[in-house]
Amino acid sequence: MINKKRKLSTILASITVLATTVGLLSGCGSSDNNGETGKDGTKNVTLTMVVSGNKAADGQDFELDVLPKMVNEKFPNIKLEVQKLPDDQYNTSIKTKLAAGEAPDFFRVWPRMGSAASIIDLSKAGYLADLSDLPFMSNITDGAREDMSNDGKVYGIAKGIDMLGTYYNKDLFAQVGITEIPQDWESFLAASQKLKDAGITPIVMGDKDPWWIQFGAYQLAANTVYSADKDFDLKLQTGEKKFTDPTWVKAISMYKELYDKGYIAKNTLGLGGPQATQMFIDGKAAMIFDGTWDYPTLTAQGAASFERGFFPLPGNEKGQPVWQAVSTAAGWAVNAKTDHLEEVKQVLNYWFDSESDLFKEWVKLNPSISAFNGVPLNNDLYKESYELYQSSGNSSYFANQMWPNGVADTLQVKFGEIIGGRKTTPEDVASAMQAKFDELWKK
Amino acid sequence: MNSAVLKKTMYWFVVPALTMYLVFWIYPILRLFQYSFSDYNGFVQDFNYVGFDNFSQIFKDGVAGTSLTNTLIYTLVFVVFSNLIALGLAFLLNMKIRATGLYRTAAYVPTLFSAIVVGFIWSYVYMPDSGLIATVLSWFGFDGANLNLLGNYDSALYAITTVDIWKHIGTSTVIFLAGLQTVPVDLEEAGKIDGANAWKITRFIRLPLLATSITINLTLSVINGLKAFDYSFIMTNGGPGRATSTLLFEIFRMAFREQQYGKASALAVISFALIIVITSFFVLKLNKREVSA
Repeated sequence: MINKKRKLSTILASITVLATTVGLLSGCGSSDNNGETGKDGTKNVTLTMVVSGNKAADGQDFELDVLPKMVNEKFPNIKLEVQKLPDDQYNTSIKTKLAAGEAPDFFRVWPRMGSAASIIDLSKAGYLADLSDLPFMSNITDGAREDMSNDGKVYGIAKGIDMLGTYYNKDLFAQVGITEIPQDWESFLAASQKLKDAGITPIVMGDKDPWWIQFGAYQLAANTVYSADKDFDLKLQTGEKKFTDPTWVKAISMYKELYDKGYIAKNTLGLGGPQATQMFIDGKAAMIFDGTWDYPTLTAQGAASFERGFFPLPGNEKGQPVWQAVSTAAGWAVNAKTDHLEEVKQVLNYWFDSESDLFKEWVKLNPSISAFNGVPLNNDLYKESYELYQSSGNSSYFANQMWPNGVADTLQVKFGEIIGGRKTTPEDVASAMQAKFDELWKK
Repeated sequence: MNSAVLKKTMYWFVVPALTMYLVFWIYPILRLFQYSFSDYNGFVQDFNYVGFDNFSQIFKDGVAGTSLTNTLIYTLVFVVFSNLIALGLAFLLNMKIRATGLYRTAAYVPTLFSAIVVGFIWSYVYMPDSGLIATVLSWFGFDGANLNLLGNYDSALYAITTVDIWKHIGTSTVIFLAGLQTVPVDLEEAGKIDGANAWKITRFIRLPLLATSITINLTLSVINGLKAFDYSFIMTNGGPGRATSTLLFEIFRMAFREQQYGKASALAVISFALIIVITSFFVLKLNKREVSA
């Protein structure tokens, strides 16, 4: 009797334990099944999208508010859920999600090798769906389409084209008597000196956010490195060229000169991006190096009201043309393992069909310059630079787009030492970049 | 084993906890060791084994040296100051003064906020030109605009350690205070009768009896210091340069910014070993010194 009772309790106990264990474990791996089929044969699907960036400061955010609403209006059976994460968190989470097979249907990607989630890295790993056969592809400019391709297949749709440049305060420039936009390095230095002599901070940068350092560096590199050799990065990959090349050292030295001469605000290592842009829109500094994607922030109303201008940082010698850093912006890619490829394509075809309402709304709210043929420039601020880019052809992509991740990081860390007054030389920066490149470019 | 209290069947109830522990704790650690010998980049599933390359690269870069030095300085400053200040505060709060409850609460408040909030607020306190410290300094006629604690190579590490100390004091104080209240009154009275002054009572009666609390606090703060990550991440991004890049921050940077999971795992293995060695050394050393009332 006693024996029997014990046996029973053993069985009961093991069942309880097994049940809880199974319950716990299965809880972790539950797959979301959202494909309900309606009576009339149309499937109700929920598509997911994760993008990076900050929510629009005022008004409607395109990706969070407009896109899901308009997609649902057009396709009542498709529900789009969008999540927006800051860049850093985005990069971390998207890779984890991809590796775990839980990635969203659409997500943010960067051209070539430009970021942690870049076209080349992700397509090599087989995570991106081939979008080459979508009808609107022929409508995208060649450069933007190529930057989003790997091995001849298109894997992403660019948000547009972005330019790096110098935003400046026209009122302050007029106040100290700078009548003409600097066209070469010498006149740029002279203009900065004029501002400094008048007691105005010439340039402010948010170097506490290390990536900010790139905004100035790549503009100078376009003028020294890529103007001399457009294929520099390809030669870097074959080992024919090194970062220690005099042209790169020159770019870094020129950038250093701005700090040495006190043209860039003191203590920028203690200023983050938001604080630096605030100083600019408050009229406390005459210039800031940034890109077109920050249009809403840099044209916002600050403590002072003044007219803004935009020009490429001239790192060129007198008499030489100015080179600009112009690049394909980040964009969207489709998960190769999505269960709803058909619906995804429906949405894309509607979104990027240049006749559709959604497309028009997108163009209106997109701060980047459109990569679609026949879409006029939105913002007058960039007019001159954009025309120069189209007419001259003197431009190169943002330098880090052809480097493995981590090289740009080394540039930032090492250049940070220069800003912080350590004894690091431009040659040190260049050779540290080369060392990192060698380490990462093994395959 | 046929005890009436603990039946054999009871062992079955360990299984769920054990499964969780194995799946979510032991297994990942074993994978960490596996990754540390590979060139895994975090999202491409096929990777190669590269032997000790990751380890040697870490030492060749000088990354191990810098981040280790930073971590040790951080830990030392943190342990010394957070415990000294907390001990002093505990003695003060243990005195019979009015509204001690209020003071005790005040000392504990900083611990209630998350590191993110604290780091964010203190970034503004430290900001050059218009930050709190800079503003207060300029009231007194000093040049606040040039005070750039977070952006300066020599001060950044100490500046973030200070924030951690500020946040941590409440916890240590509470433990010291609890320890102080277990000191028997009769021992103190016996001391008084024998003619000991307040200092002697503190030195020869209270402090030795606090040894348990001291062990707890020192150990906790050593571990906390070795695990420093939050404030480097929130306030300085490891910068300027690598001035505030601690071991854990460097692991994070390698894995998520440079996509070198393998190398990051190798550094994680190194810090894993290091933290175990330092902590157990501490605990063993301090345990010997404890006395009980």
